Amino acid sequence: MGSTITEKVLARVSGLPTVQPGDEISVKPDFVLMYDFPGYTDSYFRQMKEEFGIDKVGEPERFGVFIDHMLPTATPQEEEFHIATRRWCADNGVALFERRGIGHQVSAEVGFAVPGALVVHFDPHVAQLGTFGALGLGIHRNMLEAFVGDRISLKVPGTVRINLVGSLQPGVMARDLFHHLVGKLGPSSCRFQVMELGGTGLRGLSTEGLQTITGLSMFTGAISAIVNPDEERLAYALARARKAIEPVWSDEDATYSAVYEIDLTEVEPIVVVPPSPADTRPLREFAGLEVQNGYLGSCASGRLEDLRAAARVLAGGHIVPGFSLNVVPTSQDIMAAAAREGLISALVEAGAFVSSSSCDYCYGRIATMSAGQRAVSTGTLNVRGRMGSPDSEIYLCSAATVAASALEGRIADPRRYF
Amino acid sequence: MTLRNLRGRVAFIFTDENFDVDQIVGVKNIRLQDEQELARIAMQAYDPTFSRDVRPGDILIGAANFGYGHPHYPPMVAMRGLGIAGVIAESFSPGYWWGEMAEGFPQIACAGILGLVERWDDIEVDWANSSIINHSKGRTLSFAPLGRVDQKIIEAGGLVRFLKGARDERSGEPA
Repeated sequence: MGSTITEKVLARVSGLPTVQPGDEISVKPDFVLMYDFPGYTDSYFRQMKEEFGIDKVGEPERFGVFIDHMLPTATPQEEEFHIATRRWCADNGVALFERRGIGHQVSAEVGFAVPGALVVHFDPHVAQLGTFGALGLGIHRNMLEAFVGDRISLKVPGTVRINLVGSLQPGVMARDLFHHLVGKLGPSSCRFQVMELGGTGLRGLSTEGLQTITGLSMFTGAISAIVNPDEERLAYALARARKAIEPVWSDEDATYSAVYEIDLTEVEPIVVVPPSPADTRPLREFAGLEVQNGYLGSCASGRLEDLRAAARVLAGGHIVPGFSLNVVPTSQDIMAAAAREGLISALVEAGAFVSSSSCDYCYGRIATMSAGQRAVSTGTLNVRGRMGSPDSEIYLCSAATVAASALEGRIADPRRYF
Repeated sequence: MTLRNLRGRVAFIFTDENFDVDQIVGVKNIRLQDEQELARIAMQAYDPTFSRDVRPGDILIGAANFGYGHPHYPPMVAMRGLGIAGVIAESFSPGYWWGEMAEGFPQIACAGILGLVERWDDIEVDWANSSIINHSKGRTLSFAPLGRVDQKIIEAGGLVRFLKGARDERSGEPA
């Protein structure tokens, strides 16, 4: 009987010949990643030292720290927090990536997304490293275990296979597809499982689109998502890999806990209605709804494909007066590439406010909405209060939909621009 | 060491699937940290006299995919402050489940629990037999036992204590 790519990754890091769903195993993660944030990194740093008497992490080359929240800082306390992180990294010999972009994107750019690797983080959006065939697990508070020893306890998850067929219509994006999956399969369809994407339809999706889908997989209940790497993604990932790991692929006769087929031609633009990431609806039901804010960015969007789509929609036009459109490229490398392509000038000339990369727009630390305001957003979440007042509203959608809605000040279908 | 059974009344039944626990204290209060203050405001939207009626040892019941969304810790800080001993739900959202188990707060997935209990029933979590006993109605229902490590985390009273114990064991010191 064959194994899934996930089972092969977990077998290697556990030192066992094979593993089965439900097995309780002890594994050594290849990489331990985090961004500095109060209540998380400061707690691990303190607990490690004060409660476990450990001065330095073992094998610091396995660790990576990103400063992407509270960036730029707005208070002396925030800067002091970052100073403490910088000091911890220097003392421990751990690599720090600051002002490079959103960590989940930068970690792929700097070689943590090694095909076949196990990567842990406290934040489940790390699942997007699965685009390159790495298993990115968001293990929440259990991160402490990775600080105080080199192995962590895991229960081997089952895998839900999603076979994609057909291709997306012009103007429909991977973001629409992800929420279509939530709508069609349900918000608990992959609960405690890994979502594995495959099928002939995969060929029509970009690496960036797959980063969007895998990074959001938690909203199906999945603990991660993964794609068997193709030549293009292997070439990208292996060229910058921080560790030599033999890539692995799912066997033809691997066992899945469920198999679904999704026809991409059926996907239409969607909005996810507040206050739940489970509430996927066809955009057409909400077309014309007035919005005042737009956000294009986050670890789930803001990549070149998203910026190109927005620039195409906005080309030659201008956003409606009174509308705030914030565009935040996912990394500084993406920002530079977008500038070289002329995308930044196109967005700015259309009235967008373009910022350097930061996570802070996604959770309302900046560009904060007041009561009664409504946003279209490519951020990760639409729960109450996520981008400001608990009495503001967030409609999640694709980058193309954010741009089309910015032109009208109302939720608008972007397909006519494509 | 074995787990001690939980015995208490059904303090509340959250019947919504994909329940967002942040609603227990309200999004406006989600940054509060003081346990007593959280306990005082908890459940205002559901049952204004909850904090007066609940007793130490009582248990919460949830529907499928309990804890979905972007759960924060204060709601269950409030519940523990009121003496709630654990949560039994049809099923849990992974992020919520891991977070609360790491706190040493028992979270028991039991398919069919909504059909077994009514509010204020006297119930018991029987770990040894992996079953929920409804003493008020004389009925029982089994659940899938916790994993070996999860059980140890609950026994230890949370992840930090569990990891300390495991470390002491390895170094040959008394736990």
